[in-house]
Amino acid sequence: MAMYIRVKRIKTTYFIRCDPTETILDIKEKLHVLIEQPVINQRLILVGTGEVLEDSKTLADQKVENDAVVALTLRKDDNEFEEVNIVRPNDFYQSRDGDGGNW
Amino acid sequence: MKKEDTVKLISAEGFEFVIDKEAAMVSQTIYNMLTSPGSFAETQHGEVTFPEISTTILEKICKYFYWHLQFASGKETEFPIEPELTLELMMAANYLHT
Repeated sequence: MAMYIRVKRIKTTYFIRCDPTETILDIKEKLHVLIEQPVINQRLILVGTGEVLEDSKTLADQKVENDAVVALTLRKDDNEFEEVNIVRPNDFYQSRDGDGGNW
Repeated sequence: MKKEDTVKLISAEGFEFVIDKEAAMVSQTIYNMLTSPGSFAETQHGEVTFPEISTTILEKICKYFYWHLQFASGKETEFPIEPELTLELMMAANYLHT
């Protein structure tokens, strides 16, 4: 196993095993199996930079590295994508770093 | 990758972590749950709830499982542990036989 990424939406995190040479489309197809949402209804955003990841590019192209956090957003009924929504646990450890930098 | 090959671990606060069974079975406790005959009811649905493990600790444990697989396949990196997590992480690791 070369690497994994953490795909997050609301209170769920999907650990996805992958390789730097895989494309974003490959990742979306893996997610499709888990969440029953077709690839066209998924948008992935690299949380560190806020960059929307493009289907045709590879993980390496877009600097998505091992243990990276990627936000998943889904297409809403009005055909627009929802905003990034990741709930952070509000426990003792997280409350000490208010800057949101430490995943 | 198939959905049956994954398992969902749920933390005390109800956060969900979907990980590969192969990774989860780094834990002897989860391995036993997933493989014992008769089986635990929750593992038949591919979900295990840990009411005593906080979200931060459970995510750290999941990272450890994947690090373990990477390390086993020859990648030599350190697994970082923040000092403030150490005690709770050790208690969870003891429970999970990890």
